[in-house]
Amino acid sequence: MALRDLTTDYAGRGAPMFRLALKTGVLTVLTLGFYRFWMKTRMRRYYWSAIRPGGQPLEFTGRPTEMLMGFLTAVVVLAFYIGLVNLVLMFLSFSLFKGEAPAYLLSFLGLVPIIFFAQYRARRYILARTRWRGIRFGLEPGVKGYVWRATLWWIATILSAGILWPVKTFELEKYRTDRTFYGDARFEQTGGRWSLIGAMKHVYIAAALIGGGIFASTMSDEPVWLVATAMGAAWAVLGLGHWKAESFKRLTEGKRLGEVRFRCHPRGGRIVGIYLLGGLAIAALLFALLFALGMAIGVLLSFLDPELIAEGFDDFASLAALPAWLATLLGLVAYFSVFLFWGVLREVFITMPIARHLAETTEIVNPDALNAVRQRPRDEFAEAEGFADALPLGDGI
Amino acid sequence: MTGAAAVHEAFADLVDGETAVVHRVALRLAPDRLIITLPNGAAQDWMADELREVPDQADLSGLMLARAGDPLTRLLIRDETITRLLRQNAPALHRRPPIENKGRIAGWAAGAVASVSLIIFVLVPVMANQLALFLPPAGEKALGDATFEQVRTALSDADFLPVEVCEAPAGVAALAKMEARLDAGHDLPYPVTVAVLDHDMVNAFALPGGRVILFRGLIEEAERAEEVAAVLAHELGHVVNRDPTRDALRLAGSIGVLGLIFGDFAGGTVMLLLANQLINAKYSQAAEIGADDYAHGLLSDAGLPPAALGSFFERLMAEYGDEAGWAEHFSTHPKMIERVDAAQAAQDRAERAGEIGDPVLTAAEWRALRTICGPQDDKGQSSSRRPERD
Repeated sequence: MALRDLTTDYAGRGAPMFRLALKTGVLTVLTLGFYRFWMKTRMRRYYWSAIRPGGQPLEFTGRPTEMLMGFLTAVVVLAFYIGLVNLVLMFLSFSLFKGEAPAYLLSFLGLVPIIFFAQYRARRYILARTRWRGIRFGLEPGVKGYVWRATLWWIATILSAGILWPVKTFELEKYRTDRTFYGDARFEQTGGRWSLIGAMKHVYIAAALIGGGIFASTMSDEPVWLVATAMGAAWAVLGLGHWKAESFKRLTEGKRLGEVRFRCHPRGGRIVGIYLLGGLAIAALLFALLFALGMAIGVLLSFLDPELIAEGFDDFASLAALPAWLATLLGLVAYFSVFLFWGVLREVFITMPIARHLAETTEIVNPDALNAVRQRPRDEFAEAEGFADALPLGDGI
Repeated sequence: MTGAAAVHEAFADLVDGETAVVHRVALRLAPDRLIITLPNGAAQDWMADELREVPDQADLSGLMLARAGDPLTRLLIRDETITRLLRQNAPALHRRPPIENKGRIAGWAAGAVASVSLIIFVLVPVMANQLALFLPPAGEKALGDATFEQVRTALSDADFLPVEVCEAPAGVAALAKMEARLDAGHDLPYPVTVAVLDHDMVNAFALPGGRVILFRGLIEEAERAEEVAAVLAHELGHVVNRDPTRDALRLAGSIGVLGLIFGDFAGGTVMLLLANQLINAKYSQAAEIGADDYAHGLLSDAGLPPAALGSFFERLMAEYGDEAGWAEHFSTHPKMIERVDAAQAAQDRAERAGEIGDPVLTAAEWRALRTICGPQDDKGQSSSRRPERD
């Protein structure tokens, strides 16, 4: 008897995510950033457990202490590179080129392979610490091949002015997927090298409109052509939403796990909607937060210096009525709360809705083949994702 | 388990961590244990104090249970009654496993602190000091020119125009006379360019490549031309010692390392800047004393009173107070009182040697220097800012 396809439930909710992100974010600020390993672990546990294919939640089993260890390892290694190499580069750059730009460029180029290295190692750590139905995922060692492939494909992408972006995306995803395991079962990425090109078509059209509009208006001196550029910009927004949804669909449906297949039907319009509405909500709430802070300062000032109300608040010099320590404290609170709320609201209004949409539109086809999957041994992997954590890679949730 | 006198039964999902099969198991909740019967009839007893809830779950309507000491097996209970009873009565549902490897973590932490300190406090400064001497003058000048434009832009007011360079001819001539009297040329690796910026900060500094910047606020705060000359001599000391170049190279090395440590957590940039300030302060204090020493010598040789440096600081101290308490650690300048004393000592030495000569500028030249940025009528207002450097 064939089992029904497994649909995916999503159990994440805004309010608990807000509380968790705010609480862990405040602790991270108060500990000068060192709670971030606990924050990341707890956020991942929540995000993972929210995704429930066939009603069974994923589990993130990483421990904050191993992330801390990995980070310390990476600091010891990277500090030498970043400190000494940057200094020497800056020296050479001013000696030979009379400017600092070559130093920044070379320093960044030197970091690029390390960034790819960190990406692959971080993926390996995350997969090794992800379980579903009690079975671990895993990624085979293979970081060397990934680094040179990623370097080459990035060069090709840049040389082609971004046209080969879908090819690069596919090739790197295939390299990773073909080395990914669920228990003892190996994943495989099917679909050809060019299979994502179609998903990018609206972005190509938008780029052509933008470029064509600018070109035509400069050549003919008729600004009316800029209408095409404006259309292209709007098209690009929708096109990027389409790319995100369609490339996810094609990559997911191209994955095989033995006899198990996947079906996926995300909508680009929904993704654009989440970004636009989420962005608006974040902007409105941040504005409200700043307004509330301003009001609080105003009330405080009127207690400290009642004459100020009669004189009127002209400029920031009126703030001089505040004692220096209080002004510093308020400034710090305002500064950190804006960053903090920006991060928290982004989780609530963007990251989670996107994860929800992608999860809820993904199904597992032929799930009875899963029952034959056996456990794989634990990947100890002491360095965790230290390099990715130390380098500013953005968040790879 | 108290309050669970009645026996409750339900079904739940169990995964054993060996295969991906989800076992549909029968649950019986007894007062002191959970009895789990697998489809094949085998039963497990999970004692009440062994039950652990998997933390940070998104769905709290059910209960995701683990058993103490077993990292793999998971039991997903959706039955409301059993979930509620377990939440109320299981004694150690939220107990965390002890942190493993405490020793190893401490060891690596010590190693990381040692290696970062070695880099930031020893290797980077030593290399910066050495490399600064080898940087060709043209390279230093490029570094200084880039920084000069950044400073002008950073200090601009609401109109976002770079701060004006003051160039009233008579004032420029007075400044040139002062420079010539100080006559540091033989010590300098390259010619010095002194510029006055139209800003009311009471401040002055040296940039790489021999650029010295005085602010209008500083000239207005000075009571005598000798005080401006003393500050100028101090900044020339920085140029001779190549301090600005060392600073710039050291910053290039240490800022990236600090970025590594603080990562990209909310608002981490502030931490990064504070930490860098703390590191710089340690080196700058030595650099300031070095520049003071040089200034004392230069002033004495030029027949000018070294005490002018001290009298100027003294007045600033009366107006703004000595930096005390925690702020001292962030301050790049040594305590003013010590510098005043050092300047007085240099003055005594110079007087004994009979080195004090004519005033550096005539009264007319001093007036010209004070109006180098054009006539100012709000002199009293101009010194409201706290000096950051001098």
